[in-house]
Amino acid sequence: MFKIIANREVGPGIFQLVLNYDQLPQNPKPGQFFNIKVSQPGSDDPLLRRPFSIFDFDAAEKKVEFIYRVVGKGTKILSELEAETELDVLGPLGTPFSLNENKGNVHLIGGGMGIAPLYYLSKKLKSRNQKVYLGAANQAELEFFAEKFKGLGVELHLAAMEEKLEIKGSALVLWLNYLEKNIPDYVYTCGPEKMLAAVEKEALKNNIGGQLSVEKRMGCGIGVCLSCSCETKAEDESNKRACVEGPVFGLGEVVLSA
Amino acid sequence: MPENSIETKQKLTKSELNLSVVMKSQQQTEEKNLNLKNPLITASGTCGNGKELADFYDINQLGAFTTKGITVEAQPGNKTPRIAETSAGIINSIGLENPGVESFIEEILPETKNYTLPILANISGYSEQDFINMAEKLEGRAELAGVEVNLSCPNIKGGGMVFGTDPEKVFEITKKVREIYSGYIIVKLTPNITDITKTALAAEEAGADAVAMINTLSAMKIDIERQQPLLANTFGGLSGPAVRPVAVKMVYQTYKKLEIPILGLGGVQSGSDVIEFMLAGATAVGIGTVNMIDPAAGPRIIEEIKEYMLRHQIKNLSSIIGAAH
Repeated sequence: MFKIIANREVGPGIFQLVLNYDQLPQNPKPGQFFNIKVSQPGSDDPLLRRPFSIFDFDAAEKKVEFIYRVVGKGTKILSELEAETELDVLGPLGTPFSLNENKGNVHLIGGGMGIAPLYYLSKKLKSRNQKVYLGAANQAELEFFAEKFKGLGVELHLAAMEEKLEIKGSALVLWLNYLEKNIPDYVYTCGPEKMLAAVEKEALKNNIGGQLSVEKRMGCGIGVCLSCSCETKAEDESNKRACVEGPVFGLGEVVLSA
Repeated sequence: MPENSIETKQKLTKSELNLSVVMKSQQQTEEKNLNLKNPLITASGTCGNGKELADFYDINQLGAFTTKGITVEAQPGNKTPRIAETSAGIINSIGLENPGVESFIEEILPETKNYTLPILANISGYSEQDFINMAEKLEGRAELAGVEVNLSCPNIKGGGMVFGTDPEKVFEITKKVREIYSGYIIVKLTPNITDITKTALAAEEAGADAVAMINTLSAMKIDIERQQPLLANTFGGLSGPAVRPVAVKMVYQTYKKLEIPILGLGGVQSGSDVIEFMLAGATAVGIGTVNMIDPAAGPRIIEEIKEYMLRHQIKNLSSIIGAAH
């Protein structure tokens, strides 16, 4: 069983969920997710679990953290749960980021809630030569993330759509501004699919390797229902499941809608 | 007092319970029957091909396993989103994503060799000829106990459901498959029809060993923010607890009209739900959507059935089939 230690608002409609666990089948890796049942025992509403990528993990404290935005019925119910509540949680699930330890200069580009998995990733990357580009609607949405990343000692750049931070615009535009004079060895990105498609295009054009994490509407999270199939660019046109072969894919691996 | 009367008054213990059921074959010989150690059969497309559930429990504990639906050629499936959630239900439009019957035989079937439970292959088609082709390819495959002929998939254009709503088509396709395939044949029926007993009787008359009911109910969801259908395919099939009363009614309605056994399914979440289907007249009961939420549902449901049997002092589970009539 998992027990809620904290579930608090850290930005407008953005919550930090900290869970304490008894045991895990294995320690989660950056990019993996947990599938959480938010309805109370005996309730069928909502029926499906909700997948959340890992924001942070602490094996010594037996703690796993998530950041989520309240967008619908499931996250609304979750946001109202109090400390000490027990939760039915499956995981860790999915394929993690590969950490590519030999890569020198690494860029992390995160948009909106797509920032969440990049924090645990940033912490685990061997290379400390990391430049992190984050974007969201406004400063209030970014504040919590910015404080956390500053604590890691990485080079941090921030952009917001509604107000001027470093620029007024998206994480993508912010990153592109820097890219000309600063080509990285490797990129990691997570956020809206259009942003992923643009980062992928630009990276491949510049012969930069990297990985991205997709967000797909999931059913089961364990690979049985094929709700989250992603088209691939493979010759045999085979599909890959975001929940098993993903959510992390190599650049150029799956078809993204630009 | 004679000894045996004392015995009958003693409470049953868990180890004495008999959960086995027999799905009789129309082929009149006992070895053609489908013997299940309990009535639970996985519903096609909700358990992958078995190995995904292996992390959670040994699927050999179940009555039988139904594979993800296969077609003659490989299918990429529908565009995403393929799933929408609704109160106590989900609407899916996967679109039969599968590697095709040849890959199924070469790659998936060998993976089932460690299973000791009966395996059923779910087959779907876009034409009568498709079903004939698959029956020919699967005939004689020792790994399989039988096939589930899907005449009811709502997610393929011009496919299954169109056949499944016409009793004559159900008869014709079932008869063709029966002429070729010698294993156990279950015909899976659609609820999107005025009178399901007509298609059930057509399947029986054509030689089906059993019918499965129900497949999903045709449904849709509109994203009111985007003001567009949520599913890329617009329509999908509703499953989950929301459809269970419809399924129970159809099993109940069909039970007395049919000689062959019924595999009842639709929204089963618990042992109580299995009991309800059996009381309505189902010999075996499918578990589908629940596997997506609770991958370890199978063994839990078996325990819940046992608790019911102890509470009602039922030694043989098969004795309650159709008991609500």
